[in-house]
Amino acid sequence: MDNPVLSAINTTFATVASAVQTVPGSAIAIDYIKNSYQNDPFRVVLELGLAIYAVKYMLSKKYRIDQNHVQLTEKEIDELVAEWQPEPLVQPLSDIQRMELDKTQVIVGAQGPKPKVLSSGKTLLNLASANYLGYITNEDIKQKAIETLHNYGVGSCGPPGFYGTLDVHIELEKDIARFLGVESTIIYAQGFSTIASVVSAFSKRGDIIVADDGCSFAVLKGTQISRSTIKWFKHNDMADLERVLESIRVETQAHKKRPLTRRFIVTEGLFQNYGDIAPLDKIMELKHKYKYRVILDESNSFGLLGKTGRGLTEVFNIPAKEIDMIVGSMANTLSAAGGFCAGPKEVVDHQRLSGQAFVFSASIPAMLTVCASEAIKILSTPQGESLLKTLHENASVFRNVILTAVPQWIELSSDAGSPILHLRFPSSLVASQQMSRDDEKLLLQEIVDEAAIKDGLLITRAKYVESQELHLPRPSIRISICASHNKKEVEKAAQAIKAAFGKALSRRK
Amino acid sequence: MTLASMYKTDYVQSLDQQSQTNLNSAWLNDKGVWITNFILICMIKFFFSIIPGITPELSWTLTTLTYNVGSYIMFHAVTGVPFELFSQGAFDYITLWEQIDEGVQFTATRKYLTTVPIVLFLLSTHYTHYAPFAFFVNLVATVINLIAKLPAMHQVRLFDINQKIDSRG
Repeated sequence: MDNPVLSAINTTFATVASAVQTVPGSAIAIDYIKNSYQNDPFRVVLELGLAIYAVKYMLSKKYRIDQNHVQLTEKEIDELVAEWQPEPLVQPLSDIQRMELDKTQVIVGAQGPKPKVLSSGKTLLNLASANYLGYITNEDIKQKAIETLHNYGVGSCGPPGFYGTLDVHIELEKDIARFLGVESTIIYAQGFSTIASVVSAFSKRGDIIVADDGCSFAVLKGTQISRSTIKWFKHNDMADLERVLESIRVETQAHKKRPLTRRFIVTEGLFQNYGDIAPLDKIMELKHKYKYRVILDESNSFGLLGKTGRGLTEVFNIPAKEIDMIVGSMANTLSAAGGFCAGPKEVVDHQRLSGQAFVFSASIPAMLTVCASEAIKILSTPQGESLLKTLHENASVFRNVILTAVPQWIELSSDAGSPILHLRFPSSLVASQQMSRDDEKLLLQEIVDEAAIKDGLLITRAKYVESQELHLPRPSIRISICASHNKKEVEKAAQAIKAAFGKALSRRK
Repeated sequence: MTLASMYKTDYVQSLDQQSQTNLNSAWLNDKGVWITNFILICMIKFFFSIIPGITPELSWTLTTLTYNVGSYIMFHAVTGVPFELFSQGAFDYITLWEQIDEGVQFTATRKYLTTVPIVLFLLSTHYTHYAPFAFFVNLVATVINLIAKLPAMHQVRLFDINQKIDSRG
């Protein structure tokens, strides 16, 4: 070794090699590399690559795969905190809210066809309550309620699944099932949450709901919490319903591995927001053609429509058994409380464990249950038939008067025979006068106030939770006809409201 | 936020996913999961080693293969949650790997579960003395398992595996 450079390199190399050997575990690593080489550099590169990947993975920083996730810097956070203004616990009321609060009538004493109001102390003709058949003031029902109160006390003290089920609940379920001619019925404690609970008990994420866009708020909430895919069809437009069903059929057929989904058509019997009825015959035809289940919300039509008050099915002469689920309310016509779902035994039994409003809510008080039973009993007697006849006559008297009004003044969206009447300004008039929604509401409120003061009528505007509605109906005055009024009163009331519409519009011009 | 945009399924779905602890994936962050995983691998190896007449090559290869296939089925093939309580199908079509830590990447659990198959592969190829066939089988099983764990593969579906079929009309 004469070359000093070469010898220096050699010594260094030997020192490093011996240094490596002194590191604990190095012998194993050297042995491993020696072994794994086996004349195959490609494999060593592969193994090294994997090892490097593992190390790199270990050293990577956490992050969230979310396009919408915004990462804020410290400075931005500070700025946002500095900018933040606490919102008042109670928002100051807007003018229209103030007006709504001030103009609300307060009833003194018992509710009824002619209640006394606080503002004027006068007795008004009630055209604003759902007491269609006058059951609120029915002496027989009242007597039964008092008897039940003595027997059972006030509350039921628990959800139906625990200690909340009483004999009267089971009897009411049987009464409704017998009345409608269906296999089985389940009763819920709240009329509003019944439809929401029924829809979400059956329709889950991935299932399809085709619903009428004129449906009430309860139906809207039900479809929303069910997490299903919701398709809306235009209100009572059967051609549009068929278009929606056809488009779903075409789209799902395109997939080879199509999952089996449940499909529902959801609509209302008598629309709370429009006062018209759903064309059930055509819906049933489409249901059979496209293989859907029908959930019919008869909250308003049960006890009202048909010769004996059996609802929409009686109007169209379709057996109630053919509808998969009939949802009704006992809080409207029956003047009790709660709701029910009628259908096949399996459908009903499923809800006893899966109907959220049934499982997680105390059952209705025995008193109200007996009231509902009694109300249904009356409906099956000649007395009930005559009540319904009076009601329908009163409704058509009111309707006929309104129809004689100048068509440019009042638009009526209700069907003949419906005791719910929505009176609106015609849309052409609203457009030509450039009325905003608030203008319309204020003008309608003027009519309501005038009717209360001058004509002794208790009427109301239809009110909505506007921020939550998906298909907000136009403002209207909602008239509810009652069988306890006589024809003269109803006719007089209709004339007065007609005149008030004219007056309000001419004042504006 | 308007009501119409709240109705969008994606938004509601992410709300439902975050509304409560996902019991299907939360246990992976529990104490003792890593050691259990290690013990399970040892038991698989032990099971294959005691088969009479088996060569060490074959027992190591079967161990890697079993671990990789098993964890692939568990983490990447089965979707959804077996016990539906309140999530109402919010995790349908989502694999267990994607459910871990609400989808956050490079968390400790993910790091551990990614490193294990690599170490197992290096060990097994070493002990099979680099027999070409065993090496190939081990490599393919490990690489497929690793690819499925890549952040870039999050909710990406290849070859129609776990494909979510859009039933929306």
